[in-house]
Amino acid sequence: MEAREQNLLRSVLENTWRFYVWVGFLIVILLWGLYAYIHQLRDGLIVTGMRDQISWGLYITNFVFFIGISHAGTLISAILRVTDTEWRTPITRMAEAITVFALCIGGPMVMIDMGRPDRMLNLFRYGRIQSPIIWDVLGVSTYLTGCILYFYIPMIPDLAFLAVQPRLASWRRRLYSTLAIGWTGTPQQKALLEKAISFMAIFIIPLAVSVHTVVSWIFAMTLRPGWNSSIFGPYFVIGAIYSGTAGVIFSMYVLRRVFHLHDYVEELHFRKLGLLLLAFSLMYLYFNINEYLTAGYKLEGSERLLMQRLFVGDYAVLFWVAQSLCVFIPAALMIAVLGIKRYHRYTIPGVVLSSALVIVGAWAKRYIIVVPTLRSPYLPSGQRLPWEWTHYHPTWVEWSITGAAVAGFALIYTLMAKLFPIVSIWETREQREKVAVSELPDEFVPSRWWKPGTVVPILAVAALLLYGRSANAAGPAKPKLPKPTAITVEWKTVPAAQAIRESVPDESTPLLPRARVFLYTGGLFSLQMPHDGSTEDDLKPSPAVAVTATLRDSSGAPISFKPMEFSAKTGLGTLAFGSRPTLADGKAQLVIKDRRYGIYPVQVVFHGDEEYAPATFDVAVDFGARPAPALPKIGVLITPYATPTIAVPFLAFYGAMWVAFIYAFGYLILWKMRGFPRAADPVSSKTPSAASRLPSVHQGFQSNFPSK
Amino acid sequence: MALTRRGFVQFLARGTGAVVAVGVAWTASVSKVFREVLPSRSVAPGNQKWVMVIDLAKCDGCRDCTKACTAMHFVPPMQEWIKVFEIADNEAAGPYFLPRPCMQCDNPPCVRGCPVGATYKRTDGIVIQDDDRCIGCRNCIAQCPYSARSFNWGEPPHTAEEMARPYNVEYNYPHRKGTVEKCIFCPEHLRAGKLPACAATCKMGAIYFGDKFEDAVTNGKGETIQFTKIAKRGASFRLMEELGTEPSVYYLPPASRKYPAPDEKAQIEAAHTDMAGMAH
Repeated sequence: MEAREQNLLRSVLENTWRFYVWVGFLIVILLWGLYAYIHQLRDGLIVTGMRDQISWGLYITNFVFFIGISHAGTLISAILRVTDTEWRTPITRMAEAITVFALCIGGPMVMIDMGRPDRMLNLFRYGRIQSPIIWDVLGVSTYLTGCILYFYIPMIPDLAFLAVQPRLASWRRRLYSTLAIGWTGTPQQKALLEKAISFMAIFIIPLAVSVHTVVSWIFAMTLRPGWNSSIFGPYFVIGAIYSGTAGVIFSMYVLRRVFHLHDYVEELHFRKLGLLLLAFSLMYLYFNINEYLTAGYKLEGSERLLMQRLFVGDYAVLFWVAQSLCVFIPAALMIAVLGIKRYHRYTIPGVVLSSALVIVGAWAKRYIIVVPTLRSPYLPSGQRLPWEWTHYHPTWVEWSITGAAVAGFALIYTLMAKLFPIVSIWETREQREKVAVSELPDEFVPSRWWKPGTVVPILAVAALLLYGRSANAAGPAKPKLPKPTAITVEWKTVPAAQAIRESVPDESTPLLPRARVFLYTGGLFSLQMPHDGSTEDDLKPSPAVAVTATLRDSSGAPISFKPMEFSAKTGLGTLAFGSRPTLADGKAQLVIKDRRYGIYPVQVVFHGDEEYAPATFDVAVDFGARPAPALPKIGVLITPYATPTIAVPFLAFYGAMWVAFIYAFGYLILWKMRGFPRAADPVSSKTPSAASRLPSVHQGFQSNFPSK
Repeated sequence: MALTRRGFVQFLARGTGAVVAVGVAWTASVSKVFREVLPSRSVAPGNQKWVMVIDLAKCDGCRDCTKACTAMHFVPPMQEWIKVFEIADNEAAGPYFLPRPCMQCDNPPCVRGCPVGATYKRTDGIVIQDDDRCIGCRNCIAQCPYSARSFNWGEPPHTAEEMARPYNVEYNYPHRKGTVEKCIFCPEHLRAGKLPACAATCKMGAIYFGDKFEDAVTNGKGETIQFTKIAKRGASFRLMEELGTEPSVYYLPPASRKYPAPDEKAQIEAAHTDMAGMAH
């Protein structure tokens, strides 16, 4: 065993007093955070600084921050793997670990933010695929699964190696050998492993991009100044990769110091990753300029207040500090240490300081994205409310939980670094020995990656999401049927054309259609109305009803020139139509051109005068059938059932990811790999003594590491 | 295999065929997979389309509507389901009072964003809030441009009267911690043929309420007017039409007021307090 590998193993094998102190410290913070959360559970979110106006705060900031940090693993590991970059091998494991642990912390932040965490399961019982929250649940859970697999699969050879280390406790060896799922290091197994890893690497990249895009859509899908931005998807993705890379660099530095990994993590790595970080910082700068200049240049009505608050107002200090920490200072620092030759000697401290600033700045940047926008809504609801209901100041509960989140992340990382080798042993050795994978026989690589069975997971996901809705579905109610009515006063429906002629007899038909500018788009989402969807609808005449009342005296002779009052009884009141005089024949006619549907009792009243006694007539007038109750077809987005146009892309994309995971892990690793240890190499067994006789470098680690 | 043009064209044709086949299969199966059936809870008891018309020229900012609403729904403190804003459109224009209930949008952002269908649209146009289902994620609060939604941050104070009835979406109490609440146009009153609490209370008769299919709206003073007529003649507007939410609440412009404007009202009130102070 090489000295540097022994040194690496020491991180797994030995614990120092410093380790216990550190773990104890983190556990104390975690317990304090737990106390704060219990406090919050008991009293409700009133213990936070959030109120109706600023209803999201530190928790959502943390959520976005940790999901962003989690993009480290994807980028460093997957992209570098796909492009087959050689220097990546010592740092891929650290990066992948960050991804998994940051997701493990980031995901629960949303649950902590929930008012009713006890109703978590409603997300699965009633989940609506149209909601950005569900996109996030789908995205983050898929991503977490993928990242755990992507963390685990490349670790299998190392686990098999650790399983035979006699210095480890027996429970740990049992754990490792279980997790190693019978890895013996045959060429066939190696081919399968490489195939599974590259498969996962390819699929993890679009998945990671999608995850941070849907995180940004939680904000971008709202009608809020500052969030209502089409740039948010890529802006968040770049921001996430940027902070994630900084996270990798920083953790690389810490692990290098703590575990003395100087043989593995060299200045080269800081330099290469520093260049990446610099590139991302410039891209992030570009996105920031795009985001804030477009809004700040126009100062559009609703965004003006927000921009004023960010640039010069309440949030100006935080805004400029965040931008400086996140972009300006790191970019300048890295240009200096990476670009100017005489400062090259400061590469490591310069890049590490930059990444530390970026991590802090990224958090502040998330805060700047979440809180000031909520502070500046279209209609500020803070009138006549106490000051603390409109201003956000995080309370000790929120800070404690935030601290606990960071501590939790550090704790998982620390423990995992103790449990698993934080630098990939087999990959770093392979890189050193320059073993070409291409020597492997091709026959073990399946030519078709798809199998008919792979459709099942897509359908399963679709069925799960649809399950909750199918239960409470029912048909629409039948429309009321118009009933024939008894007529005491004559009424008839006047055709539309006649009605308009009667109403505007003097106005000649215009030669040209009237031109009008509409400041709205008609009826796209309106409930089912006799509306053809065109904005011209309101120019068209509607059918009218003519009600004719005849006033006669006791002998039956018509009474002329008397006022007759017409009114209709509506659901909530009585609608007066005014009075009409009876003509010579004793008839008074009222043409009602209202847009009314249904049957209404129309009352005609003669109030009487000296000569004639008062009289009243009631008649039920049918104004035509009411439209059937329905929610708009075109507006299915707003209805509670799944909408194909929204559901399909999400289900198809994340379904494809699950299929890929099942193929790479379930089929290649769990199923196919089982067959190979004995078939290819019957001599190889789990005992190190038997394995140590085999000289091949392909045979895994038993052969190279004689046990004591 | 030799690289031929024919082979490449065939390859492209096969690819196109595959895409078309998937598309056909999809369109055939989509209606079976996604059945566009209206859930029973979305079917309103009656066949109406409720609209509210608020005459800003008549609103004197007394906030009786808010008080009536709070009393009727036992609205927790710090929440106002119908909130009376004092608003100025620009520097030159005088301020006016703007009562803001829930707009019951026809394209409701809150319904779009709710992950569990705890808020949903009913066929009578009301956006219902179901606090038996709400998980308290507050996405709807972030979505609502009218700031019409409130959250029960802590356990709301209860009264015996409130707790006497079991929870129902039609009156939306007893209130629960960790859930979102809002104005729901008093469906319980509408079922009984009564005006919503705010409209019934308004002494100025500024809040008209009615059924769009009846083309009539009624205010608390019992005045009934034709909806299309006042919407048209009154040059009605809806709040933030440009956001495309299609609210069911129409406003009549605050022109030719017959009561003191907010500024004057404040002066009068200040004068009254001075008088009271001098008297003591």
